[in-house]
Amino acid sequence: MSRPYGLFRVGFPYVKTIGMRRVTNQSMDVAIGKDGTVYILGRAGAISRLSWEDDNLENVCGPGKDDGKFVWPVAMVIDREENLWVTDESLNRITVVNTDGEFVRKWGEPGEENGQLNGPSGIAFDSEENVYIADALNHRIQKFTNDGEFMFSWGSPGNSEGEFNMPWGITVDELGDVYVADWRNDRIQKFNARGEFISTLGRSGSSKGEFSRPAGVEVDSDGDVYVADTGNNRVQQFSAEGRYVDQFIGDATMSKQSVAYLMSNARVLRLREMTDLEPLKRLRNPRSIRFDDQGRMYIPDFGSFRVQVYKKEVIPLERGEIDVPLRAPTLLTV
Amino acid sequence: MSENDLSLFAHLLRRAGFGARRDELEAYAAKGYEAVVEELLHPELRPPIEEDILHRYNGWDQGSGMAPAWLYRMINTERPLEEKVALFWHHVFATGTAKAEHPHTNMAQIEMFRHDGFSDMKTILVGLSRDPAMIHWLDNNENHKDEPNENYGRELLELFSMGVGHYTETDIKMAGRAFTGWTFEQPIPLYTTGLYPVNFEYNEDDHDDSVKTFLGQEGRFNGEDIIDIIVNQPATAAFISRHMYNFFVADEPQVPSWDTEPPQDPNAIEMLSKAYFDSDGEIRPMLRVLFNSDFFKEARFKKVKNPAELVTGVIKLVGTDRWPTPGFARYASATTVMGQMLMNPPTVEGWHTGSEWINGGTLNERVNFAVNQVADATKPGVGEIVDHLASQDGHVSPGQFVDTCLDLVGSLVVSAATRDGLMEYANAAGEVSFGTEAEREESTAHVVRMLQLIVATREYQFA
Repeated sequence: MSRPYGLFRVGFPYVKTIGMRRVTNQSMDVAIGKDGTVYILGRAGAISRLSWEDDNLENVCGPGKDDGKFVWPVAMVIDREENLWVTDESLNRITVVNTDGEFVRKWGEPGEENGQLNGPSGIAFDSEENVYIADALNHRIQKFTNDGEFMFSWGSPGNSEGEFNMPWGITVDELGDVYVADWRNDRIQKFNARGEFISTLGRSGSSKGEFSRPAGVEVDSDGDVYVADTGNNRVQQFSAEGRYVDQFIGDATMSKQSVAYLMSNARVLRLREMTDLEPLKRLRNPRSIRFDDQGRMYIPDFGSFRVQVYKKEVIPLERGEIDVPLRAPTLLTV
Repeated sequence: MSENDLSLFAHLLRRAGFGARRDELEAYAAKGYEAVVEELLHPELRPPIEEDILHRYNGWDQGSGMAPAWLYRMINTERPLEEKVALFWHHVFATGTAKAEHPHTNMAQIEMFRHDGFSDMKTILVGLSRDPAMIHWLDNNENHKDEPNENYGRELLELFSMGVGHYTETDIKMAGRAFTGWTFEQPIPLYTTGLYPVNFEYNEDDHDDSVKTFLGQEGRFNGEDIIDIIVNQPATAAFISRHMYNFFVADEPQVPSWDTEPPQDPNAIEMLSKAYFDSDGEIRPMLRVLFNSDFFKEARFKKVKNPAELVTGVIKLVGTDRWPTPGFARYASATTVMGQMLMNPPTVEGWHTGSEWINGGTLNERVNFAVNQVADATKPGVGEIVDHLASQDGHVSPGQFVDTCLDLVGSLVVSAATRDGLMEYANAAGEVSFGTEAEREESTAHVVRMLQLIVATREYQFA
């Protein structure tokens, strides 16, 4: 799939909210199945399964050290076979379960040698479903085959190019390039598939293009880059060239489950009538971003126990439909 | 550097912190006592706890995670007195989560103690009076102009500033009326998106602005005016001084008896009260006087460790948990079974301290916790003790063995009977040697057993 020459960004409206406290507590990450089922990874170990309509399809997995259980799960991806791959930074292992939560396999052991893990965080597939792991406390990225065989790694502690300070989120674009949320360095680093440094995005701060402990990173099919800017309670959007485009601070409405719950709680309804509701819309410490094949962006809203969904509306442009890039800004009125 | 000096620093760090390992004590001792006191009194000179690390790993700002998060801070802070002062004010201004079940507000209150705990009494009491956790705990949100509720006014005088016997029932009612309208904004409810921060709100329309007579003064007093009057009372200076003495120096009788039971060291209370008035009620100068005083230096092991001190001291001794772990909640559970559920005191009066920390059940929990923690020789702190002994020319006599272990757990002073008991084991073990791998393995087992015996002693229950 090739990227469009240019984009006409029509809009990026908020679509809906799914999940609620007690169902999708401390939502760390999200994956979307082929049938539209939304899988939400909770910090306490459960994977919540919700329909697009926000029906609760029952939680699976749960806390524990046994196979198929999690202690401190961090990130989750879904493979072509609809298996869910989950990193666990306490157990130092990768666990694969099917969408019913049944254990498939696991791999990983603690340590700092090649193939060993110390606080595995982000996880991403390349086009062949080889696996990249952000090995946070070893301050490196490791690549494994789909069977968990070590391939290679790169990175060391530090803040220079190609060095990391507790990397967290990781993703691979359709060109095979790798993006890492270099969490404690407040930046995104981009590498080619061999782990060779390409570029850096962002720096510490709260202005446009600045980050406060970015946890998640994602790239959509247009090449736009999204960063879960956790400490700034927002998601930032950048063009493929790294230009700041927009930010998402949260527009949540009540999920279907929340409405049903509150309709049977007169006291809570009264309290809501006594308070300022504006903060309810906002993201709180988002830790990931994922897209489905319809261009819908899912943001696990960690601090508010839910997922907010937006829809990217964009018209791809061919050469001639949009001017060539300008070298300088202009005040020309057009 | 004499061992006695290290013993003094161990004492200081038990009281002004949560204990310290041998290497830390040596580093402190190299700076000199008064310099260390100044360093402790100025936590801003040291780096704060790494909040981003806490947040990344725990989401500890929700619900049951607050006590583990605080214990993590106590164990890992580089600003031990800041955390100890927060614990001190938590003892004095005991506020619980059980009533509201809104832990955000309780955590915010502790953070206020961290931030303002060294400042002056007016700042602290105004902050306390504006604190949503306290307002709800003592019903000041239900204290209305046309329907006053004197609960906060009463406890402000009785438990938070002056103590029983220094005010009248009328003063209580007037204080209550002065705090009408001091409330908080209705927060977003827990369901369905979790807790949100809560803000103080002053509702002028609900404030009783009438003339009030309080402690002999008359005016249209608001809450801050009441606090202005309170902080200038000698009774306030004496009451806070006695709290400070009880928490940092030596166990006093329980607070409700203070109007009838005189302090065990009136001169100390007088010194601290003088420091209070010399500095317009500032806490830092009072603590400076306290830690540099002879009465403090002579008060070694005159205070029963509260459960938070015991648990954090043991964990610091064994050198584990320097990084967030999923199991940190077990330490909160440990203090709870020892009688101290942090941020959930039994009443507004707080915990009964001193010998009342100890009963058949809690003593068992305290001893078992400590014994189990030192049982693992792979823990860094235990390993350091083994290494220290091994560095003594490879052979350690039974007497050296006992004395070195007592020294390394914090310059612990024990009775002759206790030492005899420890010597009995040491003599049975014979000379402890580390020359060969087999000797080291056997001796390590003896060290673990000796440490277990030491932390199970009566003396180890004292700070």
